[in-house]
Amino acid sequence: MAGISLTPCGDFRESYRADTTIFPTRLSRAFAIAAVGLACLAPLTGDRYMLSLLIQSGYLGIAALGLNVLVGFTGQISIGHAAFFGVGAFSSAFLVEHGVPVFFAIPLAGIMTTAVGMVFGLPAARLKGLYLAIATLAAQFIIEDFFARARWFTGGVAGRVTEPFSVFGFRFDTNETYFYVVLAYVVLMFVSAANLMRTRDGRALIAVRDHYLSAEMMGINLTYYRTLSFGISSFYAGIGGALYAHYLLFVSVEAFNILFSIQFLAMIIIGGLGSVMGSLMGAVFMTMLPEIVQWLADGLAGSPIDRALGLGSAVSYLREMTIGAAIVLFLIFEPDGLARRWRLIKAYWKLYPFSH
Amino acid sequence: MRHCNGMRALLLGGAVALGLGGVAEAQTRIPVGHLMDNSGPTSDVGVPYGQGVADALAWVNRTRGGVAGRQLNVSGFDYGYQAPRAIAQYQAWVQRERVVAIQGWGTVDTEALITFVTRDRIPYISGSYSAALTDPTGRAPRADKAAPFNFFYGPSYSDALRAMIQWAAEDWKAKGRPGRPKYVHMGANHPYPNSPKAAGEALAAELGFDVLPAVQFTLAPGDFTAQCLTLRNSGANYAYLGNTAGSNISVLRACQTAGVNVQFLGNVWGMDENAMKAAGAAANGVVFPLRTAVSWGGDAPGMANARAISQGGATAQAEYRPVHYLAGICSAMLMVEAMETAATGGQVTGDRIREGFYARQRWVPRGFEGVCKPSTFTVEDHRGQMAISLYRAVVSGDTTQGSVAELMRNGTMKLEPVTEITLERRQDWLGW
Repeated sequence: MAGISLTPCGDFRESYRADTTIFPTRLSRAFAIAAVGLACLAPLTGDRYMLSLLIQSGYLGIAALGLNVLVGFTGQISIGHAAFFGVGAFSSAFLVEHGVPVFFAIPLAGIMTTAVGMVFGLPAARLKGLYLAIATLAAQFIIEDFFARARWFTGGVAGRVTEPFSVFGFRFDTNETYFYVVLAYVVLMFVSAANLMRTRDGRALIAVRDHYLSAEMMGINLTYYRTLSFGISSFYAGIGGALYAHYLLFVSVEAFNILFSIQFLAMIIIGGLGSVMGSLMGAVFMTMLPEIVQWLADGLAGSPIDRALGLGSAVSYLREMTIGAAIVLFLIFEPDGLARRWRLIKAYWKLYPFSH
Repeated sequence: MRHCNGMRALLLGGAVALGLGGVAEAQTRIPVGHLMDNSGPTSDVGVPYGQGVADALAWVNRTRGGVAGRQLNVSGFDYGYQAPRAIAQYQAWVQRERVVAIQGWGTVDTEALITFVTRDRIPYISGSYSAALTDPTGRAPRADKAAPFNFFYGPSYSDALRAMIQWAAEDWKAKGRPGRPKYVHMGANHPYPNSPKAAGEALAAELGFDVLPAVQFTLAPGDFTAQCLTLRNSGANYAYLGNTAGSNISVLRACQTAGVNVQFLGNVWGMDENAMKAAGAAANGVVFPLRTAVSWGGDAPGMANARAISQGGATAQAEYRPVHYLAGICSAMLMVEAMETAATGGQVTGDRIREGFYARQRWVPRGFEGVCKPSTFTVEDHRGQMAISLYRAVVSGDTTQGSVAELMRNGTMKLEPVTEITLERRQDWLGW
């Protein structure tokens, strides 16, 4: 959206190919590849804590991207995304329990989640806006309750312990190694999403978002694309959930509550609705925010400010409150999210000192 | 040139010295993890227990100079009773801080961590007393898996319930009431309340009770009138409350209003002085196990140290401490003493701490005589305590006026000993 208006003057696209390219310049492609290359070096720093945050950002980013396809690109709404994330996690753990290697269980879990998502996406064919939101809320509660009761599938309320990712006997069970698994999936999933938006189907989704009536008149099957959007979104949630399961090695129903769904919404709002990279930025932001607040809270503990306000043990609650505050502030001051801010920064340097 | 080399060597030497210094500094402190629930659904009892553990470990650092001259570096974490957060924190502790032992809390997280602590060989002293943690070999007939690194201070939930059901059977006979008594299990659909369900129902059936279908109520307090009406209509005589104090209070009050006449049996975490004050007369008569030999007002040689811990703690107040605070102290002191054993003639490693738990029979931590009850752990059997003291909560007046300390002092609230039941260490009861 905003990207088009920011194209500098003199930058003409002369073919469809040039118009749909992922990377507008050779330099931006080189930067993207260099960034992935740089990320590959992250485990060499040996900072396990930082790596755990990066891994979290990775699998949350994948799931957030799924929600962004649904909300940002198709204009639907879902407040049951955490439940689909959970379906992915439990499916993968379930498959591994029944002898499927983790390597195959993760994509299979994505497919199983797609099936579940399409079923719960069916109301989207008929409902819009607030009504659809309530329908997906119902999905959240139905699936959560299913998790708590379906002992055969989830291990019931006791949860399920699962296996680490392994290939040919090499176990990816430390942060240093598992990081590469998540990185590979992040690259794969994000490149596919960027490519999806260049295809006819991707453009159909955007058309549905921009004006569903016009889209229908252009021959786009609304029911098909809305359900498809739920399917794609669930597939991403499923992959994210499966990666989470084999990182934590334990899946329990408590994790996939409504608050977590809201967090996914917060990620894409903060990152930028309708932006592929924004989903990752939002996930990184949401992963880092509590850590930064925690760090500030630790610094504050015992200080004069802490004593004056009588914060004491309440300092730890700051963490929860800032997440809420961040969402509100972003909605007011940066409704297009971090992705737009990022583009503005890039444009600033590109045009410096002659910005206009 | 030579000058330059000298400089480089000097810098290098400095860096190495700094690095070594860092390592030496890290080695002098013993990293310990402490997982607590200060904000989740079990925080009503999690807070006093967590304070007990934290204060006791701080006291060890302060007055005993730590363990064998090395201070304990306790890393606390409030996980809000969310198992996934506990697992994530566990991995952070193991990978980053390399803890040698962990003071834990809930049943879901502890049971989920069995696999992890066994793999990483880290003794895990839990606030969960689930019987699934008591079989170190995995050979018991009903055991799910081996839990060689799990310990806890107190009787297992299942054993405590078995003792209460034995008492209930005696009580029924003593009262000379006709017919078969009816027993019902109550609690949330959650691993913690579910933990002793099968054991309780099996023994109740064996002792001639009619076992009614279980009644569910959530761990978070709410309106439980419906559950109480079910209880009344089913004609239950003995009901086990499997949740923690907060939601049990709601049940007790709702049942009082609904006019239910049932003898309630509480879990160890199901009743305490704060709950008695909150529930008022509704708590009167609830029978529950007490893990320590005395409660806060009591007199015992070890109480002086317990008071010192309370006064010097991070939450420094000379206030009344509920039963869970004392249990927290005992749990922490068992770990400390096992660490001391490990430190004599070797490194304080997970394996050696585990050996430390086996070093004594009828083990009462030094300085806490008459407070902590004796525990015995063996390589084959982690059921530390088989003697269960049952107490009755007695509330004889208005509890809304005055603090818990005052109410206990003037006798409005009392913990009245009922009986002590020593269970047989039956092999077929191990692990469930």
